Amino acid sequence: MRFLEASIESLGAKITGWFAVGYGTFAFLGRALLLLLDRTTWNRATFDVVVKQVYFTAVQILHVFLGYALIISWLIVTIILSTAREFGLTEFAMEMTIRVLVLELLPFLTALFVALRSGSAINTEIALMRVNNELDALAHCKVPPMQFEFLPRLIGGVVSVVALASLAGLLALLLAYLSIYGLSMAGFEAFTRTVARIFDFRIVAGLAVKCALFGLAVTLIPVTAGLETPKKLFMVPVSVLRGMMRVFFAIVAIEVLSLALKYI
Amino acid sequence: MNATSNPFHFKVGLFAAGTLLLVGVFLVYLLHARGVFEPTYRLNLAATSADGVAPGVPLVFSGIEIGSVASLGLNDDGGIVIRIELLQRNAKWLRQTSSFTLDKPLVGGAKIRVDSPDLKAEPLPDGSTMLLVTSDVSKEIPALVERVKAILANVEHLTRQDGEINATLANVKTVTDRMTGDYGVLEGILGSPEKARAVTDSLEKTRALVAKLDSLALRMDGMAAKTDSWLFDPNGVAEHTRESLVQVRHMLDDAQSSLKKADALMANAVDISANVKDGTQDIAKLRAEIDDAVRKANALVNEINKKWPFARDPEVKLP
Repeated sequence: MRFLEASIESLGAKITGWFAVGYGTFAFLGRALLLLLDRTTWNRATFDVVVKQVYFTAVQILHVFLGYALIISWLIVTIILSTAREFGLTEFAMEMTIRVLVLELLPFLTALFVALRSGSAINTEIALMRVNNELDALAHCKVPPMQFEFLPRLIGGVVSVVALASLAGLLALLLAYLSIYGLSMAGFEAFTRTVARIFDFRIVAGLAVKCALFGLAVTLIPVTAGLETPKKLFMVPVSVLRGMMRVFFAIVAIEVLSLALKYI
Repeated sequence: MNATSNPFHFKVGLFAAGTLLLVGVFLVYLLHARGVFEPTYRLNLAATSADGVAPGVPLVFSGIEIGSVASLGLNDDGGIVIRIELLQRNAKWLRQTSSFTLDKPLVGGAKIRVDSPDLKAEPLPDGSTMLLVTSDVSKEIPALVERVKAILANVEHLTRQDGEINATLANVKTVTDRMTGDYGVLEGILGSPEKARAVTDSLEKTRALVAKLDSLALRMDGMAAKTDSWLFDPNGVAEHTRESLVQVRHMLDDAQSSLKKADALMANAVDISANVKDGTQDIAKLRAEIDDAVRKANALVNEINKKWPFARDPEVKLP
């Protein structure tokens, strides 16, 4: 009886914790959005921090990322193409490639890439700033951390993920065309028809929203996780661990939701 | 902060510009592909049943999708009207002579097939109404199953235990068994080794007979050579015949000259009798008859001359 009571209590604590985390995250997002509406936010200093964030999140890793996207795309296209040929379904190979790579796999992998590289760094940085009381110091010097530290990171994350996923998707389209039709314009009309059939307004808008949400998830969650860190140095790794787990769950949840909306 | 103190600006600007440009180009391409920049061509199809047709069902020309069903509904008379939209650039495949068929394959979705046998025919104007024919494989299946059942029943009847096929196969076995005997196929056809032996025996005899006929033919050749010399030697039968014929000719020439004398005599007789008024007619008749006879004799002599020309040419030509 005691055991049951204890487990129910721990379950309740967990759920309360999740709600608290969820509430904290969304409240933070709400404050960031409200700040975005404020005219004073749009100043040169904030813009410079955004540029710096985009540089570190997207530009610095661009060649690595594109190489990685190229290899993944080439592998997947080859697998789809040979399977389709084996089963006599070549006409569906292009559609399958676009749906699997451009719409699902590449945005997902981009989000993971950015989360692992930038998300974890953001989480650690914020946690350390909090432990070292730097955030309080900034606030004390009338430099609101929300405007100069957090919001630029969110914007940078969204811009980076959207841009990287778009580039990877275009690269995959090009690669798919070259794999199926080779270096000739012969298949261009069929390719155009397939593209036109797949990318209706709903799909394009859904893809953009999904990438933006991915970008938000991989920066917003590490920032809030970092802010939650108790002011003890040994709690920093725990904070990063929790933050990255949440990022992973958020990315999977967004992906599942987008798939459900698209195909159910 | 200014641009010089921020070394990321150029790279980030390049990245942003490049990405925006590529995405922008792709979006324009997408709008072009979806036909935003060109007018939509509309086509109405009248059908008796909308079974299997839904918005999005493709319009297919030669296996390539050129448009799709936009909507479908009923007209005032209760007929089905299927509205199809396609891009203006694809409308050139639709002609006045085009036929539209609703294909419902067993596997895969329904599609509307366009067949344009004559691509030089008048183009179909925008908004025109055509008839949609249905070719439904699934409706033909019950009929097909019935026929297959009948065929299977026949096959079953044929292959039953004491059926015709079994009997035939037993007969074939007997024949092929015989074929493996000493006289092979011959025994198989004739039924027993004795009969087959009789056939081979008669073949042997025929061969001997042919050999004899060969020798006989050789002897016949010799006889023919002898007959040749008997006929055509200088003192042979042919020479004698020729001489006899020359004599016949002489005799005929004599007959001709005698007849000419008779003719002259008759002419005199006519002259004499010219004075005599009576009886002239009878003599004229007689004269005509004699003339006739003379002509016949002449013809006879000419005929003989034609047939035996060697009288003038003494050399005998051998065939």
